[in-house]
Amino acid sequence: MSQPIEVTLRALAVLVAFLVLPLLVGQTEHKVMAHMQGRLGPMYAGGFHGWAQLVADGVKFVQKEDITPAAADRWVFRVAPAVALVPYLVALAAIPLSPHLVAAAAPGSAVFVLAVTAVGILGTLMAGWASANKYSLLGAMRAAAQLLSYELPMVLAVASVCLAAGSLSLTGIAGAWSPWWLLWQLPGAVVFLVSAVAELQRPPFDMPVADSEIVFGAYTEYTGLRFAFFLLSEYAGIVVMSLLFAVLYLGGWHGAFSDVLGWLWTLLKGFAVAVLVIWLRVAWPRLREDQLQRLAWLVLVPLALGQLALTGLWVVTTA
Amino acid sequence: MTQASRPSSRGAVPGILKGLATTAKTLVRPTHTAEYPDVPPHLPPRSRGVIALLEENCTSCMLCARECPDWCIYIDSHKETIPAAAPGGRERQRNVLDRFAIDFSLCMYCGICIEVCPFDALHWSPEFEYSELDIRDLLHEKGRLGQWMPTVPPPPALDERSADPAEIAATTRPARGASKLVTGERATAGARAERARPTRSVGDDSPSGAAGATPGEAAAAEAQARPTPPPEGEDQK
Amino acid sequence: MTALDVAFAAAGVVASASGLLAVTTRHVVHAALWLVVCLGSVAGCYLVLGAEFVALVQLLVYVGAVVVLVLFALMLTRAPIGPNPDISTSPLHRVLAAFLAAGVTTLVAAALLPLAGPARRRAGTATGDLASALFGTWVWPFEILSVLLLLALVAALAVSRMADRQGPDAAQTLAESAGDPVGKPLAEMAGRPTAQSAGELPAQPAGERA
Repeated sequence: MSQPIEVTLRALAVLVAFLVLPLLVGQTEHKVMAHMQGRLGPMYAGGFHGWAQLVADGVKFVQKEDITPAAADRWVFRVAPAVALVPYLVALAAIPLSPHLVAAAAPGSAVFVLAVTAVGILGTLMAGWASANKYSLLGAMRAAAQLLSYELPMVLAVASVCLAAGSLSLTGIAGAWSPWWLLWQLPGAVVFLVSAVAELQRPPFDMPVADSEIVFGAYTEYTGLRFAFFLLSEYAGIVVMSLLFAVLYLGGWHGAFSDVLGWLWTLLKGFAVAVLVIWLRVAWPRLREDQLQRLAWLVLVPLALGQLALTGLWVVTTA
Repeated sequence: MTQASRPSSRGAVPGILKGLATTAKTLVRPTHTAEYPDVPPHLPPRSRGVIALLEENCTSCMLCARECPDWCIYIDSHKETIPAAAPGGRERQRNVLDRFAIDFSLCMYCGICIEVCPFDALHWSPEFEYSELDIRDLLHEKGRLGQWMPTVPPPPALDERSADPAEIAATTRPARGASKLVTGERATAGARAERARPTRSVGDDSPSGAAGATPGEAAAAEAQARPTPPPEGEDQK
Repeated sequence: MTALDVAFAAAGVVASASGLLAVTTRHVVHAALWLVVCLGSVAGCYLVLGAEFVALVQLLVYVGAVVVLVLFALMLTRAPIGPNPDISTSPLHRVLAAFLAAGVTTLVAAALLPLAGPARRRAGTATGDLASALFGTWVWPFEILSVLLLLALVAALAVSRMADRQGPDAAQTLAESAGDPVGKPLAEMAGRPTAQSAGELPAQPAGERA
């Protein structure tokens, strides 16, 4: 980290991963969702099975007019997409792909990723408030209520894993992982996955952007590149959460030839989780707002607390 | 699905698992997408794509134009005198089609014009790729309508052992009163057919100009079927 | 002057400036957003000083939860876009606040300035040390604080639940416990007939007082 060149290279690698992986997930969503609905999905852009569809979408977004509503709070409105996007970029830097392949190794990287992704919600809130649109405001309030509710079970689930591994660093947690965790930490894993999907505002937890109710929630007034940034942040969020799930609960780089192919294992596991997130979107309908809060406070929080207690008991008795 | 969606009867968990199973099954099945521009669609042979015109069969009788609910058929015609075939014979007149156009921006593809055409001048063709950038180009004149004719599928084959089609039966079967004056019977039948054509078109075109026609006994018999006895054509004089 | 000093100074300047902006702006939501910047740069100060865990928790709890809650409450009530003329203080308040600020600054400076000396290399605070301090030396303040928070949580839940509960006994409890003009509308909301509550209300508090 001492040499500026190395820092620049690492930052560039994270930026490239940040620009490529979400597109990969987005394209997978296009195709998987299409086939789950008996369709083919994009077939033309780029020639082979529409692989360049999202690139074409990006080009389209760049060409569109960037509109700031007259009644909007100009600066907050314009800064909001960046506030939503940057936290995921920073979070991606702290996720290890293998014990040695991590852009920014930090002793408390698990807390770091959680803390940084929690900031992303501010972007949605700012966007919703500054748009001077009632649908945007409703969407922002739904998003705030949802993200506050699901933050707690998520942090508790991660705390359980940290407790089991005796480390706050993602590298240390994945290093302490054993297949036995798949059973032992299963409730925590379920809680984490549900909370992650809810934090990403993905179906079945997409009330903040429910298009049949509140147009597009906080992003209603956005156009062009700024709107694309919000979309990118959603897919970058899927990447971050999937990789985080893979590292925390699926053992990251553990697998055959993990010395050489560890990074590939992490990416593959993360990709599988991303496909699961996409699958949930296709299969399940949207929850109601009150069902959402019930699920968070009456199911997930007790479950996460139970998992935490179980982990604590196990750690204390075996230590 | 309906059973699983009722939370009281089955609980929520089987329902959401069933949702996952359904989408997963659909994922591995072939898709239903029709890749239309690349792969031509499988249309039934007699689907209603475009209306083709067999110009030779049209007698400008205007039936189609009048029956059209959208009034999207335009017909112009004039009369032509055919000189007598034999010396001392009678001159005949026939209608010549000047313009036959269908405005496909108005057409609702009901097919009534094809149904009412007494001479099989209009046919359904399954071709459908004739969209235009300008709505005015959807007005197909008779040349364009005629170009669709080769795409018209042949009529469906008759059932085995069914009776001969009417056209063939009329030529092969001996006339009913064969013992009597065969030629006379044929001649009157032909005359009736000849007569049926111009009566309507003339009655439509110039009702006052045909006032001097003298109705024959055959026309009087036919007139019972119509509310107003139309005047006879000039060729019946 | 090392790079860490520069980073600390920068974070400190940003924190002071955004804090100043948070209290001077007339836009309510802008004030909350400046507060985000302020808390974030304070987290940056912690990070530069080597207290990584404290910085992250600052980010997670204050920026990610507390300010979001503040913003949420602002949006739920009234947060117009543009300056809000209601947010203004009288000159007397301003003078008093200035005196208070000066006093606090003097106090803190008097306490901290003697400690300032040549730069010393400080080892970063390990999370383990923090944990043993928190759950060893300071465990009683920590636990009392958590009990206090739990109490507030349960009380808030109780207040919100009581207004919701349907039935005469709940309304009775409300009317009795309130004994002020707020009690009546609450009792009515709880499904109690207005005439009955109006007839009983004046009697009950009087009896209680006697």
